[in-house]
Amino acid sequence: MSIPFQELLEFDVATLSGKLRARDISPVELTEAYLGRIEQTDGALRAYITVTDTLARKAAKKAEAEIAAGKWRGPFHGIPIALKDLVYTKGIRTTGGSKILADFKPDYDATVWARLKRAGAVLLGKLNQHEFAYGITSSNPHWGIVRNPYALDRIPGGSSGGSAAAIVARSAAATIGTDTGGSIRIPAALCGCVGLKPTWSRVSRYGVIPLAYTLDHVGPIARTVRDAAMTLQVIAGADRNDSTSSRERVPDFSAGLDRDISGMRIGVIRELDYGLSDDVAPSFNAALETLRSLGAIVDHVTIPSLPLAAIMNGLITWAEALEIHEDWMRTRPNDYGDDVRRILEIGMMAPATSYIRAQRARARTLAEAIAVLADRDVLVAPASAIVAPKIGTTQILEAREDGVDVVAAILRFTQPFNSTGQPVIAVPTGLSPDGLPVAMQVIGRPFGEPEVIRAAAAYERARGALPPPPEIG
Amino acid sequence: MPLLTGETVKQVMRDLYGYEVSGADADAIAHSAGAMLTLAAALGSIGLAGIEPPFGYPVLLAEAARLAKAAS
Repeated sequence: MSIPFQELLEFDVATLSGKLRARDISPVELTEAYLGRIEQTDGALRAYITVTDTLARKAAKKAEAEIAAGKWRGPFHGIPIALKDLVYTKGIRTTGGSKILADFKPDYDATVWARLKRAGAVLLGKLNQHEFAYGITSSNPHWGIVRNPYALDRIPGGSSGGSAAAIVARSAAATIGTDTGGSIRIPAALCGCVGLKPTWSRVSRYGVIPLAYTLDHVGPIARTVRDAAMTLQVIAGADRNDSTSSRERVPDFSAGLDRDISGMRIGVIRELDYGLSDDVAPSFNAALETLRSLGAIVDHVTIPSLPLAAIMNGLITWAEALEIHEDWMRTRPNDYGDDVRRILEIGMMAPATSYIRAQRARARTLAEAIAVLADRDVLVAPASAIVAPKIGTTQILEAREDGVDVVAAILRFTQPFNSTGQPVIAVPTGLSPDGLPVAMQVIGRPFGEPEVIRAAAAYERARGALPPPPEIG
Repeated sequence: MPLLTGETVKQVMRDLYGYEVSGADADAIAHSAGAMLTLAAALGSIGLAGIEPPFGYPVLLAEAARLAKAAS
């Protein structure tokens, strides 16, 4: 019970869990350490919209009493976590990062939070994000601009920007994000942590404010691949409140964490292996070399329709998001931030035919992906063409001297796998020469999370620890 | 590129959604939407004949059952 707070904050969930169960540390002490860290960092980061300190202390005391009485609920018992503010929490403000829902308190819990709560997790608070998850900067006009822990003048990515910033700043032990076009993987990649987008339907969406019903995924953002696997274990599985949730068996996601990848067949997606910035290309190529050095068989594969899968994603999101927001757009348009209101307005021009065609086209890209995965275990690709841009940047200049849209330089790597619904993990590959995180994606077959986790964990072990961000606050 | 103009945007928004935008905003929306819809036209080139949209009856049935249970 005498571990310094700073040291407590450095433990990953796997380590904390063992120490909590052995009563080497107390959930109360651990929660106080995290609340203190939020106090220290969040003035600069703006990762949180709501800090539930009173509830967290109460939950930590309950966890302490239960563990002392030998009633251990599992690996998340007493672990301080935080949720993206799209996730319903009964009686606790859930804003979706919006002004429109600024005072909304749900009367039930989202399934993902209900499962974590049942597992004994302690809720530290609700995390800042891009408004209604419709964007990738997390520069939120209502709740503050979320900042990247590695460089406070840069975006953390989004839409789950607060989730990734809190992980890297050590102001939560694990977090939950959502991903419709890359919103788990992009912030994980730009902030230097791990983001796991499970197979679509693997995790219930019940009680999660939707952006696009058929593309939304819920998943963990965590410090390590192991922590992401452990979090997914708690939240995955069929839910009678979500008719679209899968009845597929939930495997042990941690089973392959310590296995080697000698002989594993890994395909590099040719359609995503171009146009990388000088910050990203060397890191991605070095990661491929690392995978080869671990005994993996790495070659290039082609998924011809993959670039169009980003278009599919955009068209589907236009239509589904507008259907969700139509009433508010009629009655409260000025309560949206400028960027989100504009993209919802553009969605008003989307004909139903484009929506249906985009939905049908998804099967073509997924078929091509499944075909290349018939004789490969996983695929890999960069997570972004660029490192985290400065806040407010809309275009970057590349070697060919034409302006490249920042959103396109990032989303083209992530959106296709929302269209296909495949499981993908974003794992850091190092820091750029300027000290900014760079990452790759590991992509699997539908419901192939165990292979994705195994490959990412082996790579992460070989890579070693990332240099920490500068001290904040 | 589809012939989507600011005037068309203004009229569609007004008539279908009861939503007003300025002329400059309508032009910008027309530009963005027109570019995306041009790209959308390319989706047909990847061979969609015989592909069903992914909206299955099992989900419809399960959703109806869930709603019926909640109402009872």
